[in-house]
Amino acid sequence: MATFDAQKTSWIASDVLHFARRAGFGLSPEAAAQLAAQPVGATVDAWVDGSGAGFGSFNAALNANADPVSYPQVPANPNVPGSEALPADPAPHPFRLESWRQAQNGQAYWAWRMHYSPYPFQERLALFWHNFFATGFEKVRSLGLVQNLIQLYRDHGLDPFPDLLLRVSQDPAMSVWLDSVLNQIPQPANTAIPNENYAREVLELYSLGVDNGYNQTDITELAKALSGWSFTVKTADLEVFPVNPNPSPKAGTFAVYRGQNNPDGRDYNGRPRTTLPNIHFTGTVNFLGQTFNAGATTNYGEDIVKAIPSLRATQCSEFLAKRILLAFVTPSATATALQDLAALIRAQAFDLRAVFKALFKSAYFFDTAHRYTLAEGPISWIVRSARALALPFSQASAAAPFKYPAWMLFANVGFEQAGMRFLDSDGPNGWAEHLGWINSNAMRYRGKFAAALAIGENVPYAGNTYDLFPSSVPTWFTSAPTTALDVYNRLIALLQPAPIPATVRDGWLAALYPGTFAWDATGQTSARRLAYLILCSPGSQLY
Amino acid sequence: MTTRRSFLQTGLAGSAALAGLTACGGGGSSSSGGSSNGGGSGGGGGTTPPPTAPILVIVQIDGGNDWLSMAPPTAGANLTAYQGKRTTLRIDAANTTDLGSGIGLNKDLTGFDLLQAAGRVAWIPGIGMPNPNLSHFTAKDIWGYGAATPDGTGWLGRWADQVFSASDVLKGVVVESIPPIMLKGHAQSFVSITGSTGFVYPSYLLRTDALAAANTLATGWLQSLTATGTDPVSLAAYGACSASGKQFYDAQSQFNTLIKTRTPSVPYPGEAAYPVKTLAGGNLTAGLSNELKLIAQMIASDLPTQVYYARLGGWDTHSNQTTDHANLQRALGGAIKAFYDDLASITTANGNAQDRVLIATWSEFGRRVQENNGGTDHGTAALSFVVGKKVKGGLYGGYPNLADLDANGNMKHTTDFRSLYATLLERWLGQSATVTDQILGTNYTRLGFL
Repeated sequence: MATFDAQKTSWIASDVLHFARRAGFGLSPEAAAQLAAQPVGATVDAWVDGSGAGFGSFNAALNANADPVSYPQVPANPNVPGSEALPADPAPHPFRLESWRQAQNGQAYWAWRMHYSPYPFQERLALFWHNFFATGFEKVRSLGLVQNLIQLYRDHGLDPFPDLLLRVSQDPAMSVWLDSVLNQIPQPANTAIPNENYAREVLELYSLGVDNGYNQTDITELAKALSGWSFTVKTADLEVFPVNPNPSPKAGTFAVYRGQNNPDGRDYNGRPRTTLPNIHFTGTVNFLGQTFNAGATTNYGEDIVKAIPSLRATQCSEFLAKRILLAFVTPSATATALQDLAALIRAQAFDLRAVFKALFKSAYFFDTAHRYTLAEGPISWIVRSARALALPFSQASAAAPFKYPAWMLFANVGFEQAGMRFLDSDGPNGWAEHLGWINSNAMRYRGKFAAALAIGENVPYAGNTYDLFPSSVPTWFTSAPTTALDVYNRLIALLQPAPIPATVRDGWLAALYPGTFAWDATGQTSARRLAYLILCSPGSQLY
Repeated sequence: MTTRRSFLQTGLAGSAALAGLTACGGGGSSSSGGSSNGGGSGGGGGTTPPPTAPILVIVQIDGGNDWLSMAPPTAGANLTAYQGKRTTLRIDAANTTDLGSGIGLNKDLTGFDLLQAAGRVAWIPGIGMPNPNLSHFTAKDIWGYGAATPDGTGWLGRWADQVFSASDVLKGVVVESIPPIMLKGHAQSFVSITGSTGFVYPSYLLRTDALAAANTLATGWLQSLTATGTDPVSLAAYGACSASGKQFYDAQSQFNTLIKTRTPSVPYPGEAAYPVKTLAGGNLTAGLSNELKLIAQMIASDLPTQVYYARLGGWDTHSNQTTDHANLQRALGGAIKAFYDDLASITTANGNAQDRVLIATWSEFGRRVQENNGGTDHGTAALSFVVGKKVKGGLYGGYPNLADLDANGNMKHTTDFRSLYATLLERWLGQSATVTDQILGTNYTRLGFL
């Protein structure tokens, strides 16, 4: 653990900004200066725990008026029996998250949360786990279930990893996503071939890494042990899209067959079912060199899932260390650093809260050599930019009408083209990080977001016109700038890109502020264009 | 006269070793190009000279295609083994058209019965890699690398390194938003174009009151993308961001000059007018159709693109395979057939588009022979098929022996996947044998379909 033994004992504003970019979605220079006056250890602890985060006004807005986009009426479908029109839904209104809604509703909601949350690490960590345990709306087909899994990351993302792994393994969205609900070994025959989809991926992608301490037999044995894992849905938790009246579950209750009647009355597809079939393997399985009784005496395989990190502690801790270092610290960690973080993880008994606190308090994390070495993911990049340039929550929520970003109008296609159609992964391996985020199309769409954010784009939608990211140039500045360089320096302080070459800066300023500097409408428009250029620059893609 | 099928059946009776038979295109695997393909209507000796300005369209069948449901055995010992392990999911011969050699073609692969009858399809069942590990992601990486000794680049990326000049930003196009590793070279990579409109810079500025500033902003952006980073620690990532930004910047300029509007000449899957529907009667998924329509538009616009890359996902059929796989085959087959037909209506500067285009498919693996409860788990050997007017249709490489599986119950591959690449590089993209071997790292046997 030598790499992480040295603690960061004092810090300055630039250290805080680095921490906030990686463990949150950035901070203003003023907020960083305030935190820099506080002790490192207690501040990091509070940041990780969310201590003192006031959710009052945040929740009030989220539950009342967070979505400024009016939805048009959806007419009834004459070809579908029982179809009824969905009435128009004028804004402002809360994000609509019924289970029959689309992924974009959930994306807009989550983007809003990331943008304004008083506990940004919670959202940052949820984003990390969403990429780690990636799932996709396209297969789960219930926004409610997809949302619940993200909430699980918020609520339990700092739990001991074995507990988190079990919770995810029993989550309804995951159960549909990787076919646990269809992994059945009917009894008493006990001979059916298990569906090994989840068993493979939980080892390959969610705990150990490919071919890292297990073999095909382990997969098959684990699949047997997890057979019969499913969930039930209470009738009250079924939501019906009036236009195409099929029920979608908004919640589910994990259940393994125990021989009793199903109290919830519905299976996960909303079909009536009075008794769960007897579909859990009975007998012993040999998994990772241990023999387990997969039947009734051992919680139907729960102990087997929880045992993965301890049975393969080295592999699991190194796998976690690799992912954590790549997401939060550096793309080029040395083998020693990786092994030291793995040792720390083991020493903390896989307690993620302790691990993240130790990591963020280490001198290693703050090493200046790690700054701007990571390419930032598109969602993080967009949210961090919005935090810097869009109206702050206090002003957006006080305006009439409210001036929150119109996230719904960017959702899905915009996020997908930028490189992360979050909540709707193509596969269980999620998205390639760091340079995996960077390609020509991603740069194209970051340019579009940058224009919307900095230039102040209006777009028409369903008869209305929306300011995508309401902003006010004067709010970017603590005092009126008196030179073009003042404008530049302030925008750099807000947007915090990797160093931009002086020749580029000088070229921009000469083009945008050619004459005598004046902080008038023209000067402020030039400030918007300068912010746009900074956001589009290669240095702004790094953090 | 011994027909190929009777020979096959006779052989099976003796050895039960389909994989060992040369009847199934064994003669199609030769570095000299001698092609005695098995059962197709094409064939004949010698290689096919590529057309002027050949175009290759790669279609990724993403997720691991259960090709035993696409080209199932219909006779012999393989049929027996297949029926034993696919008690609910098996495709009966009655639902296939005959590919010869005791193999059927699932009628759900829409349009391929017609392509097959015209001799336009080369089938490579059993294509795969040594030591497969059943991981999607490892398999996709290895297929992408396409190298004797992988170094993190893809075989088409290394081809791009060989043939792209600095200004060739449209020579390789992927119509997905995230380019796969297959297209990444040491110095060059494909540009991603996901739509024919909106691929402009700076789009918002051009349609707002900021038009006058657009050029200034564009110039400034280009400057920022091409300038050298000043922070030595971040140079690698800074350079990647700069290169990607500049690639887009250069590509949009050329693209928007060349691209022309176009209406497809035939209906594609997903459209209401397309006659084939899902099993439930709805429209098929339109994802691949849209990508191929975009490619057809780019071909019709005479873009200088030599290789296009498209993808259809959803093939990881651990469950619900009876429905999902049938619908996927309809979307896949229908889209490729529509695209092939659509190409015939396109006249390019270098001739009719159908003469210039070769479509090659790949999937990271086939699936376990033994079905699970409603689906199939990860397997090994895959199926590739190649479609084109210049293709010598038929079967290439051996069909795996379903009675001789590996320790995990998976098929043993019969054709190295890099043989497909070697054939495409040398006989379609016009690389010399030396350069082809250099790109792939060694000399892989060429297949006889070209």
